[in-house]
Amino acid sequence: MVALVILMAPLLAALAAPAMGWRRAMPWIGVVADGSVLVAGLIVALHDVNHVAPIGAAGYLRIDALSAFMVMVIGAVSLLASWGSVRYLRHEVDSVACTPRQAVQYSVLIQLFVATMLLAVTAANIGVLWVAVEATTITTTFLVGHRRTRGALEASWKYLVICSVGIALAFLGTVILYLAAQHAGGTSNQALDWTWLSAHARTFNPSVVRLAIGLLVLGYGAKVGLVPMHSWLPDAHSQAPAPVSALMSGVLLSVALYALLRFKAIAVLSVGEAFPRALFMTLALLSVALAALLLITQRDMKRALAYSSTEHMGLMALAVAAGGPLAITGVLLHMLGHGLAKGVLFLSAGEIVIADGTSDFTEAAGLLTRRPGLGGSFGLGLAALLGFPPFSLFVSEITMIRGELAAHLAWAVVLSLVALAVAFAALATHGRRLLLSSTPGELVGQRTPAAAMAPLVVGLALCAFVGVSTWPLGPVLRAAAKLVVS
Amino acid sequence: MTTGQLTPWVIGADLGQVVLFLIGAPLLVGLMRSIRCRMEGRIGPPVTQPWKDLRKLVAKQRTQPVQSTIFFASAPVVLVASTIVAVWLTPLLSTQVSLVGGSDLFAVVFLLLLGSVSMSLAALDTATAFGGMGSSRLMTIVALAEPALLVAILALAAPLHSSSLSSIVVASLHHPVWLATPQRLLSFGAFVIVILAESGRLPVDNPATHLELTMIHEALILEYSGPDLALVNLGENLRLTFMLALLSNLFFPWGIATGTGGWSLPIALVSLIGKVAVLGALVSVGEVGVAKLRLFRVPELMAGAFMLSILAVLSALVIA
Amino acid sequence: MRSDSLTSALLALSSGTVLVGAAVALWRRTARGIVRAMQLQGVALAATALVLGLQLHIALLLVTASLMVAVKVVVIPLLLQRLVALDPSNAESDPVVNVPASLVAVVVLTLVAFYATRPLVRAVSGVPVTLAPFGLATVLIGFFILVARRKVVSQMVGLLLIDNGIALVALLLTTGVPLLVELGGTLDVLLVVVVLRVLATRLHAELGVLDLDALKELHD
Repeated sequence: MVALVILMAPLLAALAAPAMGWRRAMPWIGVVADGSVLVAGLIVALHDVNHVAPIGAAGYLRIDALSAFMVMVIGAVSLLASWGSVRYLRHEVDSVACTPRQAVQYSVLIQLFVATMLLAVTAANIGVLWVAVEATTITTTFLVGHRRTRGALEASWKYLVICSVGIALAFLGTVILYLAAQHAGGTSNQALDWTWLSAHARTFNPSVVRLAIGLLVLGYGAKVGLVPMHSWLPDAHSQAPAPVSALMSGVLLSVALYALLRFKAIAVLSVGEAFPRALFMTLALLSVALAALLLITQRDMKRALAYSSTEHMGLMALAVAAGGPLAITGVLLHMLGHGLAKGVLFLSAGEIVIADGTSDFTEAAGLLTRRPGLGGSFGLGLAALLGFPPFSLFVSEITMIRGELAAHLAWAVVLSLVALAVAFAALATHGRRLLLSSTPGELVGQRTPAAAMAPLVVGLALCAFVGVSTWPLGPVLRAAAKLVVS
Repeated sequence: MTTGQLTPWVIGADLGQVVLFLIGAPLLVGLMRSIRCRMEGRIGPPVTQPWKDLRKLVAKQRTQPVQSTIFFASAPVVLVASTIVAVWLTPLLSTQVSLVGGSDLFAVVFLLLLGSVSMSLAALDTATAFGGMGSSRLMTIVALAEPALLVAILALAAPLHSSSLSSIVVASLHHPVWLATPQRLLSFGAFVIVILAESGRLPVDNPATHLELTMIHEALILEYSGPDLALVNLGENLRLTFMLALLSNLFFPWGIATGTGGWSLPIALVSLIGKVAVLGALVSVGEVGVAKLRLFRVPELMAGAFMLSILAVLSALVIA
Repeated sequence: MRSDSLTSALLALSSGTVLVGAAVALWRRTARGIVRAMQLQGVALAATALVLGLQLHIALLLVTASLMVAVKVVVIPLLLQRLVALDPSNAESDPVVNVPASLVAVVVLTLVAFYATRPLVRAVSGVPVTLAPFGLATVLIGFFILVARRKVVSQMVGLLLIDNGIALVALLLTTGVPLLVELGGTLDVLLVVVVLRVLATRLHAELGVLDLDALKELHD
């Protein structure tokens, strides 16, 4: 019952927005919807964490510990994003950068986007998962191209083409996995179901499953933003409106990684640990290396944050390659922490664009002296992203590394740490330039309105809280990790 | 069936083939010409006009450019001779051929190539600009067309593990699904394009006009006259007829004589004439609706034919 | 047995036509010719579903076949043609890779597809699986078009080829997945084409041409 709220809330918000038309208070519907998603996820996570509950009668949806955790991640980051959208939309409509009709369209699309992501994590079978991920691509294409500038159109075109190709490959991988399941004796409904697949995967033909997992990793990996399928990421995340970038970087990538996590667990049962591990590791190391190198030369804030997302996805993919309860727990925690920190950073970047009209590091320099509130939150967000305690990325990165060491991947850990150090240095330099260097005679000490600061502060606080306390997430994390560790 | 048998019946069938082609080739071209004329709304010359032209040409004086050597002089003979040998080697009236070793597809394609190359060399031999132009154009086409032809026939031969044309024809006779497989369709498509290119029909070359600047064929034979020109024309007609007959027998072999029965040879004769006439008529009808391709587009068409033929071989491998 | 061989032959024919449609899409220069090639491919794909459905007595496949005809032969070419009408210079005037080289690439890609599907063919028995190389070759040709052609219509055709090839492989391998997934697959193609068309319209309004070479703003 509670679970039903999870899915209905954003859908209802999506329906209510055009019914209400453009009002200054209209985006708050989305905030309420996403907040209720977070609360519902929390309730499910705290109460029935250990068993798998189907949602609705059709058998297409279900919720288990891993799904519940993902619902919480989606809820938390989308809450931040829609909170930030309130101010963003008001500013856009007031400055006539977009028409009220486009603002309504934006609100509908954002809630639909959240709904499709929720559908993906609560899918009971791989077919529904595929349909949901495809739906996210379609909804986000219009969101990325919201501003209809040349750059936005180019970014949305590239995004749609690359992700459609990826989704098509994932479709083929899904079909081939279905084939393997059918040959092992599954009926047409069983052969798609997650539970049935995990129970019977040991009997699948390994060479067929190998082909399937290869295609699935390439296909869904394009949505995760792993190199070499990552080229849409910097463009899309830099051209999209800030709250949309927050959602995409914060959650969409993690949802795609969630799909890969589940698929890997099934593949490992059939083909053993070696092949999937090698596959994930290759992509992971390529991603962290390339992202770190490209971070050095970035001048645009949002583009740098996008590359940082690729970096973190690479780190998570490496932990997924390692497998094992420690690494997987780290991955899940990192999804939450990274989502929150990235969300805060993108929203801050959006605020900087509203305040200073630019998202270039050098042009918006001296932020800390000019706008202490905004500069402070950006700085703290950057600290969170770089893995400083008390923020949760510190804990999750250490847990992932420990998990990787336990899987005897020391050399990969060393390589990823080198890349991480390069990325750290790059981001720190950019951050220093943005926050600290200043020219005399500028306006100092301007106040950022509380409406802008509120989501940022809440996001940072949540990130710190999760980094410090094992309640309420401990049991959920344990149960979720157990589901995908063989 | 694949090795030669020198029985009188087989030798008779082969000789009959050659005579039939020698007599019938110009008639086929005359038929195609008159069909095209009718479709364009005029009456045109009678079907026997090409024979009348040949007779007229034989009576005229032979000329030769001063600088030309043996290539120019021998090319018409080589052209006609190679095509006649190809006719002799191919199972057109009967599935048995009288040459020891049988009808090898490589041999047939090589003979066709020999004809093309001899014409090209002759054109170069004239040491004129038009000759060089025609020669280079012809080579551009032949370089892609001959491999396409070879591979297209190979696609039919590959499942049989034999390169003998007779075995292909026999297999076609027994195959119940005649044209409905990808490899046969693709091979057919490649074959048709190659025929159009090699015999200088539209859309590659327009046989109805005689401007050497825009043509390939006309530029090649510009310097020929008298009996040489008669031989060249006969050779070209023979090539077209032969390739149409090859097409019809490889893909639609009904009526061909498999044994030495009494009525089999006349039936084969009638069916061969019928099939070739129908194919020639179809080519003519098709020509009326198509425009000539610009010269730099022709390699695209030939590359397409090559691609089709290789796809045919791959299909044969996949499905077999 | 005779009907069996007939259906196998028809299946081979329709699968081969899918590949030929892809090759022709690469061969033709005019946008109209390319759209006709896509229609041919749609018909061949629907015919494959039809033959499989009749052979195995699966009614679902007949529904799939009719869906495919509706979407791939009627609706999508219609959308493509409207797009072509938007910018008449949509004929690929000078492709990045010229036509003869592209056709050689088709041959090479078909060979690659043939070898890549060998393990699958060995693992799974049955006639339809042996035709899987045709589908994979279509996918590879679609990739090639995405890379080698810069006009917007060609990019959409590349995507469509990838989707059609994957649909063919899916059909041949599993003789159809459950209706939901099949519906999702076909509707996905439709939706992607619709969205691409909307984007293309906006691109045209913004840039004046439908040429991807004009989109070079974002890079590192």
